[in-house]
Amino acid sequence: MEINILAFGQVAEITGKTNWSVPYVKDTGELRVLLEKSYPRLQSIEFAIAVNKKLISDNSELNDKDVVALLPPFSGG
Amino acid sequence: MSEKKSHKVFVDGAISPAFIADSISKHSSKKNIGAHSLFLGQVRDDKIDGQNVIAIEYTAYREMAEEKFLEIREDAFESHSIICMHIYHSLGLVKAGEISLFVFTSAVHRKDAIDACEMIVERIKKEVPVWGKELMDNNNSQWKKND
Repeated sequence: MEINILAFGQVAEITGKTNWSVPYVKDTGELRVLLEKSYPRLQSIEFAIAVNKKLISDNSELNDKDVVALLPPFSGG
Repeated sequence: MSEKKSHKVFVDGAISPAFIADSISKHSSKKNIGAHSLFLGQVRDDKIDGQNVIAIEYTAYREMAEEKFLEIREDAFESHSIICMHIYHSLGLVKAGEISLFVFTSAVHRKDAIDACEMIVERIKKEVPVWGKELMDNNNSQWKKND
């Protein structure tokens, strides 16, 4: 069981990679804690989470093979 | 008749004035159109701590962005009386002075075209996962912020 992570923009600069997997965790809150432990600089920036391309606002349950994207504030246009 | 089929939004590098002119001329056969509204976003040479922005490098979460563009498109047809609409956004490097966003709406009357165009631009800035990295003339860079 695993979760696929995608990182973009400033988040990807901190993690040093854009696409990797982590062992399964039950929800996005737990995943955030885990990521901030692995990459402490993530604590100092703002980023949103999308699960399978849908932006989530509250802690959300995760399933095996979900794609979790770490999205710093958008700045298109 | 509404033209609701969508096209590719992302283009490599800057959007050329010739491309924009060509888009306008393609609409001359649709004679029920009475008004076009165009928004063109241009890369600005902001000065930050004495350094100039010389270009913006755009990246995106492509799959999610494409879904979002489609949702914005469907909502625009739902909420505004428009005949057609087009969105083009750059990816990769766009130099200061070049165009990176082109939104084009057409309607029978001007108000529908103008309102729809504004709504689409605002939603793109807020909701679409695209990031711009501002590159400075001394090789520094920083992440662009949208107001």
